[in-house]
Amino acid sequence: MFIENLQLKNYRNYNDLDLSFDRQINIFQGNNAQGKTNILEALYLLALAKSHRTSKEKELIRWGNSFSVVKGSFKTRRGNLNLEVQLTPKGKKVKVNQLEKRKLSEYIGMLNVVMFGPEDLSLVKGSPQYRRKFLDIEIGQVSPSYLYHLSQYQKVIRHRNNYLKEITNSGENSVELLEIWDIQLIEHGTKVILKRINFLRQLEKWAKNIHSNITDNREVLSILYKSSLSLEDGSLRESDIMEQYKNNLLKLRQQEIYRGTTLIGPHRDDLEFFINQVDVQSFGSQGQQRTTALSLKLAEIELINEEVGEYPILLLDDVLSELDAIRQTQLIQTIEDKVQTIITTTSIDSIDINTLKRSALYHVEAGKVKIGN
Amino acid sequence: MHYHYPEPIAKLIEGFSKLPGIGPKTAQRLSFHVLNMEEKDVLFIAKALVEAKKDLHYCSQCQNITDVDPCYICNDKTRDPSIICVVQEPKDVIAMEKTREYNGLYHVLNGVISPMEGIGPEQLKIKELLVRLKDEQVKEMILATNPNIEGEATAMYLSKLVKPFGIKVTRIAHGLPVGGDLEYADEVTLTKALEGRREI
Repeated sequence: MFIENLQLKNYRNYNDLDLSFDRQINIFQGNNAQGKTNILEALYLLALAKSHRTSKEKELIRWGNSFSVVKGSFKTRRGNLNLEVQLTPKGKKVKVNQLEKRKLSEYIGMLNVVMFGPEDLSLVKGSPQYRRKFLDIEIGQVSPSYLYHLSQYQKVIRHRNNYLKEITNSGENSVELLEIWDIQLIEHGTKVILKRINFLRQLEKWAKNIHSNITDNREVLSILYKSSLSLEDGSLRESDIMEQYKNNLLKLRQQEIYRGTTLIGPHRDDLEFFINQVDVQSFGSQGQQRTTALSLKLAEIELINEEVGEYPILLLDDVLSELDAIRQTQLIQTIEDKVQTIITTTSIDSIDINTLKRSALYHVEAGKVKIGN
Repeated sequence: MHYHYPEPIAKLIEGFSKLPGIGPKTAQRLSFHVLNMEEKDVLFIAKALVEAKKDLHYCSQCQNITDVDPCYICNDKTRDPSIICVVQEPKDVIAMEKTREYNGLYHVLNGVISPMEGIGPEQLKIKELLVRLKDEQVKEMILATNPNIEGEATAMYLSKLVKPFGIKVTRIAHGLPVGGDLEYADEVTLTKALEGRREI
């Protein structure tokens, strides 16, 4: 996918912006708080109909205005694609080739982007919540049925937790109704777990390759899905997982009633990364943790290509300068000539000169973009 | 100093605001509309409101809202009393009746199990259902609660509860809409339709 044109009206600190793109690599340079990330956010919005930074969409509308419009023209394998997101304080409208789509599910997925920002560097060492969010967003982009089972699972969890609290408070031991919730909990929970494990297997295949390239074949990366279900012998048959899920819940019943909350399931699962069989989160150097995060993101690009048949647009928010020369080179080699990339940075000093020569440079200052350095 | 509405209008606005989906502005618009209406129309609405509340109650058998007891469906001797279709709300009975295909009786739960809203089986008309299953010659119970988390949980609960009665328990199918094309169905709906396939 290739962006040819981006238009912002009353978006964040942009009054009226009309930008054309004709290069693979595009670098937006400028001081902090000038509006660099807003451009990446706008592209993310065109892809996923939401911001990566905030859930309050009112914040996206330029102060003092009543609406905001983001438009993008793209070249894709299937032809030209025009996307538009209109924001008002009352809600948003999305359009594909000038036609309004009533359902967001008919819109999301038209454009694929992969965002890599400073917060992604903590993918490895951050909290489990962060890794679950990573899984949910990335699998959701390519699998609508994952989103369905995940949202059903979250609803069941809320009901079940409420019911567990009721039992805790009343002291009554009516497990009949709890078993009713367990049936749906297990059904949707198992689907979520299976899809996550399958996704990770595909992701690992790419990430392994990329990681060993970055490290000159010195490091072997592996990823493990660490389930709170204590799944035995790694069987991936749906019926086996459901069986073990059920047994685990039975074992934990008294404890769950005592604590008034659901103690196992996808909402408590985590990921573990190993380099040469050593746990990266606990024992890896900061450099190894960064390389792992980078390998995962680059693997994601390949995975989307595999699933969708086309490379996504890569959005690099302030991370290129955080990587050393070897990793920068590896990153550029991976995306070279196949992945259009939009980069933001405060300074181009630390960016490789050969990369700079082939890039389009933009200067961002106070909501205005100038072409050139 | 703020301008105040005369008390009768203020009361009318307050009254309308109590209805679902009506905010202060709509309430205001409706109130002024009422002022411009003919008196007989206003009286008609007022009377309808009061009578609906006063004369309607639950049918002692199916728990649907009715003005006569038993309701006209329970009283209909041409209907098959061996099948009971369990639905969530009175409006679901209307939906089922529109099919003109169903000739059994109904039972309205008046809600679904939902711990998040503090609704358990005790708050639903389940006791009344069990009484009917014991007394009448019921052979089949159709569970027609909505195909979502809460409706599904309620259906499972009822099927467990009714199993010992030796009555056939069925669940309405969900899947593809009639007249739809396979290629336009989303994968979740298609999966459900596959699961519920039958031999022909």
